[in-house]
Amino acid sequence: QQNGKPHFYKPIVESFEEAPLHVMVFTYMGYALGTLFGYFRDFLRNWGIEKCKAAAERKEQKDFVPLYLDFENFFKRNIYVRIRDNWNRPICSSPASRFDIMERVSDDYNWTFRFTGKIIKDVINMGSYNFLGLGVKYNESMRTVKDVLEAYGVGVASTRQEMGTLDKHKELEDLVAKFLNVEAAMVFGMGFATNSMNIPALVGKGCLILSDELNHTSLVLGARLSGATIRVFKHNNTKNLEKLLRDAVIYGQPRTHRAWKKILILVEGIYSMEGSIVHLPQIVALKNKYKAYLYIDEAHSIGTMGPTGRGVVEFFGMDPRDVDVLMGTFSKSFGSSGGYIAGRKDLVDYLRVNSHSAVYATSMSPPVSEQIIRSIKFLMGMDGTTQGTQRVQQLAKNTRYFRQRLKQMGFIVYGNEESPVVPLLLYMPGKIAAFARLLLKKKIGVVVVGFPATPLAGARARFCVSAAHTREDLDTVLEAIDEIGDLLQLKYSRRRKS
Amino acid sequence: MNVGVAHSEVNPNTRVMNSRGMWLTYALGVGLLHIVLLSIPFFSVPVAWTLTNIIHNLGMYVFLHAVKGTPFETPDQGKARLLTHWEQLDYGVQFTSSRKFFTISPIILVASGVLNSSKRPSTMHQLVLEQRRMKNTKDTRYFLASFYTKYDPTHFILNTASLLSVLIPKMPQLHGVRIFGINKY
Repeated sequence: QQNGKPHFYKPIVESFEEAPLHVMVFTYMGYALGTLFGYFRDFLRNWGIEKCKAAAERKEQKDFVPLYLDFENFFKRNIYVRIRDNWNRPICSSPASRFDIMERVSDDYNWTFRFTGKIIKDVINMGSYNFLGLGVKYNESMRTVKDVLEAYGVGVASTRQEMGTLDKHKELEDLVAKFLNVEAAMVFGMGFATNSMNIPALVGKGCLILSDELNHTSLVLGARLSGATIRVFKHNNTKNLEKLLRDAVIYGQPRTHRAWKKILILVEGIYSMEGSIVHLPQIVALKNKYKAYLYIDEAHSIGTMGPTGRGVVEFFGMDPRDVDVLMGTFSKSFGSSGGYIAGRKDLVDYLRVNSHSAVYATSMSPPVSEQIIRSIKFLMGMDGTTQGTQRVQQLAKNTRYFRQRLKQMGFIVYGNEESPVVPLLLYMPGKIAAFARLLLKKKIGVVVVGFPATPLAGARARFCVSAAHTREDLDTVLEAIDEIGDLLQLKYSRRRKS
Repeated sequence: MNVGVAHSEVNPNTRVMNSRGMWLTYALGVGLLHIVLLSIPFFSVPVAWTLTNIIHNLGMYVFLHAVKGTPFETPDQGKARLLTHWEQLDYGVQFTSSRKFFTISPIILVASGVLNSSKRPSTMHQLVLEQRRMKNTKDTRYFLASFYTKYDPTHFILNTASLLSVLIPKMPQLHGVRIFGINKY
């Protein structure tokens, strides 16, 4: 107890319900059948009985090691191509709450596509990371972005350390630091590159990285590029993390048993495929106890979590100084592109000199920076209205409504009940395609993922709730999902409440 | 369609056999194969058992010990391209529970053929008594299976040969070994 107040952590309500066993059995049988048919079709293609529509080597190269039809492309050509029309759909409007999709058909089972020329208008967008509804087409509130475009142009044509630091960047960095309540921040042109270029600048050989099982590819790439030893702890499992920390502190480096130079814990704010939120209070307690550093990637949680959208640190009511490196991206809630790293002033000054991105990569484009400046001012209320905070609250309301209704219908939904990323489990490979296609027929666009991006029996549809969705939009989507769930028998949950 | 977008597992093939329900699916698949073979009126019961064993072991050999690499591109620049699925399981750690399960299951299945060749008397009553005594060990099924094939030497040779073809590659000493350079690249 401190100051007479009891020290309670915010209760974390999350669920990762397991489906009944027969679902798993059918899923594996589905993949096995697909594999057997894949071998059969490969046999037919090799012997010329079936025409091969994939790329093929030239006749002179037939005896070389196969380039296109080898085993590594087996899954792609036999399973992925058959349901490929659910991905890479070209859209032709801004990713607002409703968008337009170009209609495309395939005459040869998804080997080639052609556009009919028609555009499917007003499709409800449940897939874009448009959490606060700021990813809309040009309107009068974006006037400043147009002025900056006219004044500065689009390209910067230099890196941060040469001639590419603009006053817009300084303004943006000061604003980001003020928004996050930290000492300083630095922005980079690309969100993925923020992770992969800056982790190597922070840790190196002789350091230890403890990274969560479900971390994003950019964090994994940055960790691998740094040359540090990487140990993976089970997703959000503080006991496992504590065991790894204790082993690291007690036994030191593998052969020499010297102490590790640095121990860095890599976590994300919201995990985009699971919808779970990091257990921040427990992890900060562990980091303080074992003197490790914490790096948190708030790509999905900045702007969406917390009463005023300051991210997962505010969501738990904690001090931003507890986290050593706060990283985030501007492409999700702010409707722009790029990433930032924020923290203490000496950390950010070190990154200005030593980050690979600052030395070699072009800096952020001026209209992009202005869009972020405008979004942050909107969120903080510096434009004179309270609409920013209202949008964050609307997002929270929408999230809770959507998740509650899905759970009531009986679907298995993963994650924390307050995260705007909602994965709905589909499990079977055939249902992935059926779900996405039927929803498109009803003019709703969703993102589905299957194996090998997810574990074998973990195929899911991922919804991103947005503050721009009205209650009617969500009801339309929920009715459609209800109907399709009955048709495809997706309501596996055994905890139905209604 | 990229490996590891939602998890940091470099090669999903290593974890596939540990997934929840995989062993049950495998057992059900073998059971289904056996029932299909038993339903064909031309095959007597011993022939059906031997055919189940042979087809199961052939399938297991092809998919676990002959096919190399992964059916998708992994982010580790193809470290597993020359390894069979068995060698990829659990990143090469020996004696994990999946490996033990898949080593013991053909033995259980083929035990009918193995015990075929012994000259032990086989009255129904004796076998049932032995079965009751060893209720909780795997020998139960060993004897159960042995009851059905009536100990014919041809069956014995066929069953044992196919069992050996599927057991020898699983030995840890043969991890990564390619005899006479067969299946090396």
